[in-house]
Amino acid sequence: MTDEFVKGLGILTGAGLLWMVLAGWYRTPSFGSTEQLVAPLTVDTANATLLNLVAITLMDVFFWLALLGPLTFWVLIPAGRQARKAVEERRS
Amino acid sequence: MTDDTTTDDREAPAKTPVADGSGIVAPDDETPTWRERKERHVGLARLTYEYFERARREDQDLRTESDYVERDVLAFPTWPHETVRNLSIATFFVGMIIFLSATLPPHIGDPANPSSTPAIILPDWYLYWSFGLLKLNPLNPELAVLGGQKIMADRTYGVLANVVVVSIIAVVPFLNKGAARRPVEQPFWAAVGVFGVVFAFTISLLSVKNIIPMNVDLLFDLTFLAPVVTGMITYAVLKTMREGYMYDLNRRYYRLRPPK
Repeated sequence: MTDEFVKGLGILTGAGLLWMVLAGWYRTPSFGSTEQLVAPLTVDTANATLLNLVAITLMDVFFWLALLGPLTFWVLIPAGRQARKAVEERRS
Repeated sequence: MTDDTTTDDREAPAKTPVADGSGIVAPDDETPTWRERKERHVGLARLTYEYFERARREDQDLRTESDYVERDVLAFPTWPHETVRNLSIATFFVGMIIFLSATLPPHIGDPANPSSTPAIILPDWYLYWSFGLLKLNPLNPELAVLGGQKIMADRTYGVLANVVVVSIIAVVPFLNKGAARRPVEQPFWAAVGVFGVVFAFTISLLSVKNIIPMNVDLLFDLTFLAPVVTGMITYAVLKTMREGYMYDLNRRYYRLRPPK
C-alpha cells in the first residue's frame, strides 16, 4: 500500500514538474500576469517548428499523466483490490 | 651443558604454541586480570574503582526505583546517519534549483530604477500578513453614536490590528507551555496552531488581493472563515484520532518522553 502511494506521488511530482516547465514556455504570456501556466498557447501550432510541436504534445502528455497516474495508483488499483477481496470473501 | 640440551629436548613438545588461548587469557570472564587485581587493591586505583562502582550502583538503584524508561536507541549518530541524510536532502534541493533555473524561461530582470515608483508596491513575502492587516477597512465599525462616523481612521485601525495580533501571539506561550509532543495530546491547542498558520496564509493572500484572480468580497470573507473552519476540522479529527488510539486508556504510552 505504501509502495502504491509512492508510485502515485512520484508520478504526480515528476510529471507535474515537467509539465510546469513546459507550460512556463508555452502557456505563460508573462510571469507578471495573473494567468500563468494555463493561458492559451503562446505558439501558433499551424506553423510551429517540430521541436515546439513535440514540446507542446509532451506538455499535454505530462499534464494528463500527472492527473491519471495518481488516480490509478491511489484510487483505481486499491479499489480493485478491495473489490477482488470482497468478491473472494463472498465466495468462500 | 649436556643437561641443558637434554632439558630442551624433553620440553620441546610442551612449548609448541597452543591456539586456544588457554594459559594466556583467563579461563572465563569472571576471573579478574592482573591489571584488574591491581586496580582493585592498590592505592589511588582502588579508590577510583570504588568510586566508580558506587556511582554505577547508585545509578542502577535510581533506575530500578523510578519510572525511568530505558530505550535502546536515544538518537542516531551524526556520522554517518545524520550527515548522509542531510547531504542527500541538500543535494536534492540544489539540484532542483539548478534544474529550474536552467529550464524555466524567466531571466533576471533589469535593475530597479530608483527614480520611478512602481505601480504595485509590496513588502517582502514574509511580511504579507502584516500588510494584509492594514487592509481590514470593512471591519472598521461605523458607530451609530457618532452619527455613522468611524471612531478612528482606517490606517490607524490597521496598525491597531497588528498590535492585537502580535499581542495574541505573545500571550499564547504563557497560556500553553508546550508540554505536548504530538497534536493528539492537546487537540485544542493543535487546532489553535492550525488556525494561526491558515490565518497567516489567508491574510497574506488578502494583502495581494489585486492580483488574486478571485472575487475580492469572497476573498475577504474566506480570509476569516477558512482559518476557523480548518481549526474546527483539526479539532474534530484529533478528537476522533484519540478515540481510535484509545488515548485515555493508553495515556502513559502517548505521553512517553525520552530520558533527559
